[in-house]
Amino acid sequence: MSTRWYPIYQKGNPQLRVFLPNFWMKLVRPYDKQQPNIVHFHCSMEMTKYDIKNYLEKIYNVPVVHVRTKIALGKFKKEIVKGYITKDEDVKVAYVTLPKTHKFEFPDIFEKKTGSEDDAKALEETKKSFKKFLEKNKDRTDVPSWFSI
Amino acid sequence: MEFFDEKKNWNENNIKVGRSWKLDELRIKSNTDLHKLWYVLLKERNMLYTMEHECNDQVKLFPNPERIDKVEESMKHIETVVRERNVAYYQLETGETGERPVEEVVNLFGLPENYSQKEYFLPKFMNTRWIKTYLDHGYINSVAVKKFYRLYKEKQHNEERKARNRDFNHVQHLLKRFPDMDMDALKAEYPNVDIEKAKRSKKARGHYMPKY
Repeated sequence: MSTRWYPIYQKGNPQLRVFLPNFWMKLVRPYDKQQPNIVHFHCSMEMTKYDIKNYLEKIYNVPVVHVRTKIALGKFKKEIVKGYITKDEDVKVAYVTLPKTHKFEFPDIFEKKTGSEDDAKALEETKKSFKKFLEKNKDRTDVPSWFSI
Repeated sequence: MEFFDEKKNWNENNIKVGRSWKLDELRIKSNTDLHKLWYVLLKERNMLYTMEHECNDQVKLFPNPERIDKVEESMKHIETVVRERNVAYYQLETGETGERPVEEVVNLFGLPENYSQKEYFLPKFMNTRWIKTYLDHGYINSVAVKKFYRLYKEKQHNEERKARNRDFNHVQHLLKRFPDMDMDALKAEYPNVDIEKAKRSKKARGHYMPKY
């Protein structure tokens, strides 16, 4: 397992167990409006539908009813000046259906904070230090700014 | 869904975290502990990937991106430790490392290559399609591959020859300009050059009467 080398499938038991899976999955915001029990994921290219189902059920304790996957082609881009073409990585997208009773809504992470005191404080401090800097260099305009103790 | 960070870390500019796990700390842990820690790290990594993706989508700055590197480093260390233990176990039980075996083969360009072996459904002698390339009239013994190999060898030989001549000429000119230089240092710098021969040559003689 640690060599990341899987033997070929053989019939019968015991089957191969994965002890340290290195698959990753990330939850993404759905592009279009979805049913409340459908969740979108990006995942490792090697994952199969069964892998995704097992991954969510065993590691995250999320009940899964159905999984659909597709491989989304990465975008082709043309460099404007030199004209060569680059391509983004392909991604595997998984559409996971939860049971009807479950609901999932993608949370709004960047809500406006009410009292963002830290930012105001930092801004004020920067302003103060800049004023100090101007004060110090009033009589020596021809000296570079880094020249000081 | 545990794919998101804690709510107090949302929309934060600076999230303080500790360092990654070191190899020596992981070596004294039991296998079960490592197994549990692996899943903790896996979930953490998924969470960070999710947050990073969302930040990129919303055109915001992802706070402290070095967290991903730390988690990945820890996971790499766990894998190293597990591998060490695996090798030790196999050495004790079977006298072999238990690593993936590597074999030197001739590839389709006729060049030697290190091939990491893997399992096949068919044994070699039954695989008629694979053996075809290695037959007397197969692809590897074909005129095209032989021609490529010959030209490849010629190119390598030319590079070697040019390097040899370049060094020899350089030593000659050095001897011309600095006849009293440290010969041992010169020998150490250019071990493949015959310095006695270079001294006798015409190019190494300066514009003065020779002493002999």
